[in-house]
Amino acid sequence: MNVEEALKEAMTSRVAGVQAPPTMGQRIRRRNRSHVVRFRTAGAALLTVAVAGAVPVYLSATSAPVAAPVGAPGGTSEPAGDDHALSGNVVPDVVGMTNDTVREVLEAAGFKVAWRKVIHEERAPGTIITQQPAAGTVAPEGSTVEITMATSGGPQPKESGQPTPAPSSEAPMPQDLGDLGDGRTFGGAHFGYLPDGLVWGKWSGKDGFGHTSYTTTWVEPGRADTGEYSVQAVVYKGKAARDRRGFAKGDPVMIHGKQGFLGSFTEGGDVAGSTPETTLTLVWFDRENLAVEIMFSPTFAEKLGGDAAAAEIQKIAEGVAVKN
Amino acid sequence: MTEEDEAAFDEFLAARSTALLRTAILVCGATPHDAEDLVQGALEKVYRHWPRIRHDNPEAYARRVVVNAAITKARRRRVIQEITFASPPDTPVESPDPGLRELLLAELGKLPARMRAVLVLRYWEDMSEAETAASLGCSVGTVKSQAARGLARIRERLGTLEGASA
Repeated sequence: MNVEEALKEAMTSRVAGVQAPPTMGQRIRRRNRSHVVRFRTAGAALLTVAVAGAVPVYLSATSAPVAAPVGAPGGTSEPAGDDHALSGNVVPDVVGMTNDTVREVLEAAGFKVAWRKVIHEERAPGTIITQQPAAGTVAPEGSTVEITMATSGGPQPKESGQPTPAPSSEAPMPQDLGDLGDGRTFGGAHFGYLPDGLVWGKWSGKDGFGHTSYTTTWVEPGRADTGEYSVQAVVYKGKAARDRRGFAKGDPVMIHGKQGFLGSFTEGGDVAGSTPETTLTLVWFDRENLAVEIMFSPTFAEKLGGDAAAAEIQKIAEGVAVKN
Repeated sequence: MTEEDEAAFDEFLAARSTALLRTAILVCGATPHDAEDLVQGALEKVYRHWPRIRHDNPEAYARRVVVNAAITKARRRRVIQEITFASPPDTPVESPDPGLRELLLAELGKLPARMRAVLVLRYWEDMSEAETAASLGCSVGTVKSQAARGLARIRERLGTLEGASA
């Protein structure tokens, strides 16, 4: 075994028992809501600062022999708007433009550009959200217009960085295995029995659980909005099956006369009691190069009740037919 | 965000969140619990931009955000010299050598965060050099040199153990 393979094997062993909790979607949304509230508060404060800051900048920009607007300290009596009397250029409106056009526009109008970036979640990154001096005012040619550009907290996808630039018609979700119909047949296995009322979750993944693995979920139609699966199944083949065998934990059970393990696992893969935050998991090894894993979401297992859930998950397993 | 966007996001999570969580654990060396917090934070960013990115390879985008967050976290941990990998799962039935596995993970934990990220993406996720470069926002040349250097360091350490790298 070379170092690359040994490393891969070690890394696989490190994380094989880790499963993302099915409640992750809810938690992300909860975080997002509190974040938006925080940001709105911060956004209001930022705006106040920007307005306060605009005054001195505006004044310095118009301190040349330029008509000052009414109300400005030390203003002249000459009314603003008499273009012929002004030596300067009208500042174009760049708010709402994107960062790739704004420089051109301002330079064409005879201004230099100073950039400032703020994290702004509600405007697309690269959008200009404020400018100083304001649009329509007059500033000396060659002076600087300071613009504030929205940016996001995270990295943006670069088109050049895409291995395969996805056409917009591409399905947004992994449909690695195509339309599975009722979802009961994939990866060379047929799931003959499923608890009543479950429908295919309308997606499928390949190799998410190691090289040559297939997965899909079944959901309760009424709970689709909550982002929770009810039952997830993984078919491991080849290397993925051999890897999976190394981390089987739980109570031994027999499925079709083959060794399997049943347990409730926490997100870290540790065996735990049947609390709401654990995933009831049954894995068995149908043959050397093939393993099948069935998982119940915590809410689904809770709904069925501990013993009934354990009975159902084994019933699903017994109903699985593996093709040769 | 439309209902369809929301549903698509849920499907995306069902398909990819486990893989992203595993990547984060390997890159930052944190416990699954800490890594989950990190992944949630990163995926919150994905969620915020979801309507815009969902049609344009959201997985690559999500992986970039997660890997970057994991690197940042690993660097922070490095300050207190505390990169520790939690002990691997018990009952390694057909492990060729559990001691070697532990040693490899320990050595991996000692590498600089970015170098470790290169090794995780290249050898655990089986990504190409170009894909790894895109995920990390660096050049292919950097990926090559970081991978070579990382492997060399691990090999060097293993060299003290006989027959580790045949």
